[in-house]
Amino acid sequence: MTDITPFDAIPDQAPLAPRSKPRLLLIGTSLVSLAVTMGFAGLVGFYLSSRADVLRTGEPWPPKGVEVPLTQPNMMMFTLVFSAATMAWALQAMRNDDRPNFHIAAGLSLFLGFAFLAQTAYLLTIMELEVAASPRAPLIYAVIGTHMVLQVAAMAYLAGMALRAFGGEYSAKDLEGVYGVAMFWYTTVGLYLVLWYAIYITK
Amino acid sequence: MALTETRHDSTAGHAEGSPGGLSDSPLVTLDAYFGAGDHKVVGRLWLLGSVLFLLAGAVISLVAAAEHTDLGAFTISDDAAGFAQLWSLGRDLLIFGGLIPMFVALAIYVVPLQVGSFSLAFPRGAAAAFWTWLVGIILVIVSYAAGGGPGGWSTDHVVMWAAALGFVVLALLWAMVCIASTVLGARTAGMDLDRVPVASWGFLVFSLGGLFSLPLVVAQLVLAYLDVKHGFLPDETSRIPLVGVTDSVSLAPGLYWLGVPALAIAVEAIGVHTGRPVRFHRPVLALLGLLGVVAYGADMFTFASRGRQIAFDNGLLVAALIASVLPVLATLGLAGDSLRTGALRLRTPLVAGLLSGLLLLSGAAAALLGVIWPIVGFLNKNFDTDLSLDVSLDLAATTFHEGIFGLIVGAAVLGGIAGIHHWAHKIWGRSLDDRLGLTTSLAAAGGGLVWGVGGIIAGFLGQVRLPNVGETIPDGAEAMNGVSTAGVALLTLAALLLLANIGKAATGSGSANEPWQGLSLEWATPSPPPLSNFAALPVVRSATPLADPEFLIPASAVATDAATTASPTEHA
Repeated sequence: MTDITPFDAIPDQAPLAPRSKPRLLLIGTSLVSLAVTMGFAGLVGFYLSSRADVLRTGEPWPPKGVEVPLTQPNMMMFTLVFSAATMAWALQAMRNDDRPNFHIAAGLSLFLGFAFLAQTAYLLTIMELEVAASPRAPLIYAVIGTHMVLQVAAMAYLAGMALRAFGGEYSAKDLEGVYGVAMFWYTTVGLYLVLWYAIYITK
Repeated sequence: MALTETRHDSTAGHAEGSPGGLSDSPLVTLDAYFGAGDHKVVGRLWLLGSVLFLLAGAVISLVAAAEHTDLGAFTISDDAAGFAQLWSLGRDLLIFGGLIPMFVALAIYVVPLQVGSFSLAFPRGAAAAFWTWLVGIILVIVSYAAGGGPGGWSTDHVVMWAAALGFVVLALLWAMVCIASTVLGARTAGMDLDRVPVASWGFLVFSLGGLFSLPLVVAQLVLAYLDVKHGFLPDETSRIPLVGVTDSVSLAPGLYWLGVPALAIAVEAIGVHTGRPVRFHRPVLALLGLLGVVAYGADMFTFASRGRQIAFDNGLLVAALIASVLPVLATLGLAGDSLRTGALRLRTPLVAGLLSGLLLLSGAAAALLGVIWPIVGFLNKNFDTDLSLDVSLDLAATTFHEGIFGLIVGAAVLGGIAGIHHWAHKIWGRSLDDRLGLTTSLAAAGGGLVWGVGGIIAGFLGQVRLPNVGETIPDGAEAMNGVSTAGVALLTLAALLLLANIGKAATGSGSANEPWQGLSLEWATPSPPPLSNFAALPVVRSATPLADPEFLIPASAVATDAATTASPTEHA
């Protein structure tokens, strides 16, 4: 086979395709968000199914002596909802090419993310649910722990994009990275709302 | 370059201008493979690894099948838990070491070429996924060897198995993100989604199906990890049910997910090797999508209600099983138009593709036997009928599922063989040996069919799937267990022949002439393609872009080209 290919023989007048920049980061983030949502939904589904099995046998849930408080989870919910608002602020700031505001909003989002993690860690210490107490206890910790991992991943993603923005990347004409991190952040907030209702509200 | 970037300026791992074989380029070094950013290098790595682990999985499955033939005394594994370990290792290697990575490999190599992209989306991510997968799958084997896996006696190594398999699945998920992102976001101008080549579309459906389904496997592995670590599954007997962790991708209809790329490759091969691209392009795309949605979608939403047991007594599951047959049948029917009107050349891609489609269809059709029992039960309960069956059709815990698994695995292996042979020249700059390929295809088809028939009949005879020591074998089932073992042996032989054939091409044997040419964009590149695949491309105007006026080959170029190829009539 020679190196002559149909492509080499394209007539000069053939209109060539423009080399546009694809929005791969945004698409990739959407796909990752989809996969993360499926995995998390699976865990919550297993928890609810397992909980239903316990209730069907007439046993109490949570087990006697275990207190699942509501104050901290509510505070955590408000914290994350606020962080979604600051993330929207960051996105809007970049849309306006307003870098100072973007950095403030991204920094605030990161701070609220840290606050959420700290509150979760505190909640776990006061729940007094022994992992070995019941086969369902690891499920609760699996759901909460998975969400913490996702939150850390979202914060790392935001920190990376904020650093890039600090270095001069992204603008009103190139928002892909900021859109991507905002989408992932909103996904983690949405998943927490599911967790909050499934575990903390309905227990 | 960061994992999230998709530039095509990396030269690592690619010897520009070389034929791209594994041994004939002095620039190809180990360092270049570790730092590869070229999707073609990464695709070759995935491909080689997947075929190796496919062979390993087939060998272990063969040992497990041989153990199954004589239940009076387990000769290799000590007891039922040991048998579960052996059985589960074979399955893990076949699915997560062989079949899924094989389609990932083909997709990583071919999809950017087919959609006219200069690169794969996140190529470094795909490379990182490969190394993670490789380390993970090795750790899975190590954990089994040290007493881990379902039925394992060592708590630490059962935990290690759950973690390692979790990493394997995460790596596959990340590779699927790269593939789906490329199809969705990196297509060249004019290539709308309904103009995407059938194979790339199949890989897209496969990847999206994986992104929906595999996270559930990860979730189950997390739970398995915690349950074992915290003592809720204290001994090997209590750990046997962990084999169910991968049920969502190893039982029908979720299992048909593996058939989607196989069927897509079959259609692509039929189009090229009959010289007649499939006329009904959009309907074929829709049917492949439907197969993905019906097969996996329905299974996913019913999975939680199964309670980690195989049960057909679920209306949605029964409906999905019935509905899965239709898209397979319709796709083969539409592709049959090319077979009817085109020139039939019995080359490996065509033969393997056709056999793959037929095996997939037979697997989906055979699975319908499992829904007779719940349908009869439903009718008796709701319509005051008094239907009775002479034989037991409660197949839930029997080798019936092994039979369906064998048929679909056979179909998937054949799909892989078809794809590897079809694009071998693009991958290594050398064609694979076609005679050996035909032998491989027949071995794989025979293996899948015999494995399937043996398992299904043994299931009807009441042979349980995971037996205990000394368990009585139902009359006639022993012979059928032997038949299944012969099927697995044939499939093992096919994997061995495929590896040998690839080895020949990768080390420089085989014809350097381009053996055939299709009408999708990968055929507009030299073999193997250069680093950035294309310098520039005209706007695509149809699903067969090389037939577009902008891409037409001047007669002089065809003459020069055809002089060195097998047959000028085979060009588009």
